[in-house]
Amino acid sequence: MYNSLTRIQNVFGFFTTVAFVVAALIAASDFTAPRTPSATIKPTNVQVVKGRPHYYSTKKEEYAIIKFSLNADFSSLFTWNTKQLFVYVTAEWPAAPGAGNSANQTNKAVIWDSIITSPSADHLSNLGPASLKKLRKSAAGKTIDPSRGKLSLKNQKPKYQITHPSGKIASTDDVTLRVHYNVQPWVGVLTWNQDSDLGLWKKMADGVSAAFALPALKKKEGEKAR
Amino acid sequence: MAEQFLDQVRDAVDGQIVRDYPPTPLSIRRTTSSLTNYYLQDFEGQKLAEVLATVVLSIVGGISFLVGFFLQDIALALKIGLAGTALTFLLVVPPWPFFNRHPVKWLPVGGEPAITSTQQNIVIDEKLFTK
Repeated sequence: MYNSLTRIQNVFGFFTTVAFVVAALIAASDFTAPRTPSATIKPTNVQVVKGRPHYYSTKKEEYAIIKFSLNADFSSLFTWNTKQLFVYVTAEWPAAPGAGNSANQTNKAVIWDSIITSPSADHLSNLGPASLKKLRKSAAGKTIDPSRGKLSLKNQKPKYQITHPSGKIASTDDVTLRVHYNVQPWVGVLTWNQDSDLGLWKKMADGVSAAFALPALKKKEGEKAR
Repeated sequence: MAEQFLDQVRDAVDGQIVRDYPPTPLSIRRTTSSLTNYYLQDFEGQKLAEVLATVVLSIVGGISFLVGFFLQDIALALKIGLAGTALTFLLVVPPWPFFNRHPVKWLPVGGEPAITSTQQNIVIDEKLFTK
């Protein structure tokens, strides 16, 4: 503390310590906020079509287009330390028996996802100026906005059409849709939906659809059966 | 002239918690030889600066967390933390006068008559030097 330089070093050095401790406290405060997520999902319209992975591809693959309805309440996941919430829906089905080393494996593919930002992270969202202004207006004066965690989608078109490495996906049995989330905090570790309760953090209520079968390949009008 | 100016700049940047002795106005301080001027350290003031930095930063950290937690506003917590740190820098880094209230009291230059008048015998190489 003899001259300015030592005082600057001392103050800055202790500032880093304080900043780290406060950050650790913020991360730990997540455990004081109960998490009670719930979701119900069901497929509404399922199609399988033939297509090409890209324009010049000579390979034809089968693509499943699964429309779904989703009602979810993730409002408890929004606390002061939540930057954004990543919600995604996967289709899962067991590997075909006798398919070599792939037996007992589960196929899993994301069909839809969404990023829900907290008001404190609206500036990070990938939106145009008009939609960003609307989003900001919807939470004007609020530091957190749990109502954004309430999702209600009806007959939602999937973002991604899924296939299998083999290119065959038609007539697959036992497909389920599952809702997942990933909480991305300002400070702390990423957390996903849990399989079991952890303190105040409950596992997601429901969030899985009943098993359904993908239909056979849809034939175009007048196309000959192959 | 340039040297004087650079000296003043260096002193201002250095910002030691000291008092120059004997007290001389800044205008003539640099014209005299540096040997006739010396600085009195204020160790109490330096300790005060250290304690202030630690206490103020800790309090700011606590306030920033509590306000953020109860108002559920992480941006506010960040702002309070950074503003408080800036305040601490402003409070501790410049050599404010209140850091300089307990200068070390040295014995007077040249000493008191009681010491100087005493004969001091110094023996070097078996020769007696009398001072």
